[in-house]
Amino acid sequence: MSKKIKRLLGKNELYVAIIILVLAITIHMQSGLFFLPNNLVDLLRSIIVNSIYALCALLAFVSTGADVSFPMIAGMSTYIIFKLGETTGLPAFVLVLIALAIGAVCGCINGFFIVKFRFNSLIVTLSTSTICYGIAFGALKGVRIDVPAQFADFANWNILKVAKTEKALGASLHGAFLVMVILYLLVYLVLNHTMVGRAVYAIGGDEVSARRAGFKVDQIRFGIFVVNGLLAVIGGLCYACMCKNCSPMEYYGGEMIVIAAIVLGGVRLTGGHGSLTGCILGTFLLAMVQNSLTMVGISVYYQNVFIGIIIILGASVAAIQATRSMKIKSVVDKEGGE
Amino acid sequence: MSDYILSCKGINKSFGGVHALQNVDLHVKRGEVHCLAGENGCGKSTIIKAISGFQPQDSGTIEFDGKVYTSLNPALSIDLGIQVIYQDLSVFPNLTVQENLAINTVLSNKEKIYSRKKQREIARKVMQTLDLDLDLDARVEQLPVASKQLIAIARAIYAKAQFLILDEPTTALTRKEVDRLFEIIRGLKEQGLTVLFVSHKLDEMYDISDSITIMRSGENVYSGPMATLTEDEFTHYMTGRDFDNVNDKHAEDRIQKQAVPAMELVNLSGPGFAHVSFKVQPGEILGITGQLGSGRSELCNTLFGIEKASSGQILRDGKAVKIRSVQDATMNGIALVPEDRLTEGLFLPVSIMENITVVNFDQFKKGLLLDRKAQEGNSGEWVQQIHVKTDDHLLPVQTLSGGNQQKVVLAKWLSTSPKVLILNGPTVGVDIGAKYDIYQLLRDLASTGVAVLVASDDLAEVVRLCDRTIVMRGGLMSGEIAGRDLTAERLTEAIM
Repeated sequence: MSKKIKRLLGKNELYVAIIILVLAITIHMQSGLFFLPNNLVDLLRSIIVNSIYALCALLAFVSTGADVSFPMIAGMSTYIIFKLGETTGLPAFVLVLIALAIGAVCGCINGFFIVKFRFNSLIVTLSTSTICYGIAFGALKGVRIDVPAQFADFANWNILKVAKTEKALGASLHGAFLVMVILYLLVYLVLNHTMVGRAVYAIGGDEVSARRAGFKVDQIRFGIFVVNGLLAVIGGLCYACMCKNCSPMEYYGGEMIVIAAIVLGGVRLTGGHGSLTGCILGTFLLAMVQNSLTMVGISVYYQNVFIGIIIILGASVAAIQATRSMKIKSVVDKEGGE
Repeated sequence: MSDYILSCKGINKSFGGVHALQNVDLHVKRGEVHCLAGENGCGKSTIIKAISGFQPQDSGTIEFDGKVYTSLNPALSIDLGIQVIYQDLSVFPNLTVQENLAINTVLSNKEKIYSRKKQREIARKVMQTLDLDLDLDARVEQLPVASKQLIAIARAIYAKAQFLILDEPTTALTRKEVDRLFEIIRGLKEQGLTVLFVSHKLDEMYDISDSITIMRSGENVYSGPMATLTEDEFTHYMTGRDFDNVNDKHAEDRIQKQAVPAMELVNLSGPGFAHVSFKVQPGEILGITGQLGSGRSELCNTLFGIEKASSGQILRDGKAVKIRSVQDATMNGIALVPEDRLTEGLFLPVSIMENITVVNFDQFKKGLLLDRKAQEGNSGEWVQQIHVKTDDHLLPVQTLSGGNQQKVVLAKWLSTSPKVLILNGPTVGVDIGAKYDIYQLLRDLASTGVAVLVASDDLAEVVRLCDRTIVMRGGLMSGEIAGRDLTAERLTEAIM
């Protein structure tokens, strides 16, 4: 039993959960606004997109290294199909397939260079990201466009509504929340109940050992980046439909907060470590800080200061634990040297 | 059925015109422990790669269990029951013990679905092969090296190994752990397994091996039973050199007995050790020996200011000094060659020249800039003086062999002209030839009046190198052995 507790104490997830709880209680005591249905629903709504992105970041970091291309892959593909939808009137499912295909192609490009030439994944995905940015703005004049009629149903699909009260505004939970839940279930099943999933961790732990054990390292890595392209597209579509419009500019730079969130949640930048619980908790914590600090009267401009502090605190817990477990300790015998 | 389970005949392998293996024969009898010895770069790992199928030979045949193969591939070799335990052990540090134990079996069953329950059963069975008792849910990165190794061995045996290759298995183990490993190897031998044991530690080979093959520069230079090989012959075959000239051990005149002690500890306590008192004279080589966890590494670190002493005194040339930081230590003429040269002592991708001169950057200042010419001159001298084998000292340190890397670490600290030189495990992972070079270097250094402290758990090394040794156990000084009493037997008794 004590072993289990000890193992739990070694997990970042636990500390993030504690921080979330403490912060929530503090905010509620200060403002009385935190534990209200509308606020909680708002919070859930605000983690949808980032937690889908977090899956991309998790898969990449655990197995290979950084992936920073997902926001721009999302932005570009969403923008393209919204434009297509407007001009051609193709049905929604065809448009979604096209978007997924674009995401997959971007993922293939990432995977190809990373696997074949062993380039650093940060550099490769940074390049892809820049190319997508260039296409969205240069070739397609990335202005803000409204969600086309084909997606109107999805854009207006709410699964939960909280009515407006005297004290608080109303809120609604968008259907994209279900998409997120399904994706998490899928990724959970793959990571924990298939050999491919275990390979993701094994490769991240020790690539050479994984090869010797007989894992198809290159295929799995390539696959991960293709899957990341697909996940990015789904996240991007959800985002645009929730906003009811698409502007590629809004996607730009979205990777930073996501990476910060998963690092908070215990994903190690050196690979091999990271859990879905950590992804959700990290994303939730950062969303909470962004959403709720205004409630206690802290200006929007200072929110980033808090986010920065939280990230440093979160990362240092992990670092301290890592160094602690490295040290070999000599202990002086109490009875003496005989 | 022939007596030999493995017979490699006339194996050749070259890489871009360089002959890594030339006409090598290797015959291993069924059920024996066969030692494969040789210095780094002699072709040991190349022949292992040929046997394991990872890098087939250019020509020559491998006969295994009565069948002749012109080339093997990894899958075939595993099917034949050949298993290699690599030096890096091929474990997954981020996964649990359970997964590490079972993953190979699950993979070779070509299962797609991963079931924790099934895996646990397999892991239990794997543990039974060696009677292990490990926490299945612990992460492997938190285990000591010895346990990781046992995991790798258990895994191999469970995969129906008939022929086990252990690539330098004892490098990172303490004495006790080595004994445990050898017990296990003997157990395996009784079960009929054949073991090919790669090593360059002589005492271990005598301990465990039935016969030996020694390789040098890609050729087989000796094959025969272990028992009849003498130590001198062994060294001769390994290095192609003879080392009679290093026996100045009891050069009493080297030690300046009348002088003020170069360093004296009075009742020094610190993290991991307590109440340590000793003196060391200029020109003396003093051993500090004890097992891993006995406090010897911590003591070295404290003397060099990496850790802080909690009470007691350090005297340098008779004067009490306070050593709170590495800067304090260097200012007082103390230098430390750390235990793990890779993480603590060297910048691997950086040139040899910069590694040697880095602690002396002040000397090479020219205004705000560094005087590169002077730096190169200084480094060039050291490279010559201590025989670093390299064509160009501007090459990165990682291009050197282990022994030569260690020489670079030595040169780096010698260039500060220390008065007290502390070495922690000075020849860990170093070839026998380079080892003798380092011993000779340390003796020469001592005869110039430097006090040398050698912390080591390699007992043969302490006996060969040191004039006197203190023994640590459980963080305390448990004894002191000097002169003719300083033998391996006495030491073994004292540290246990």
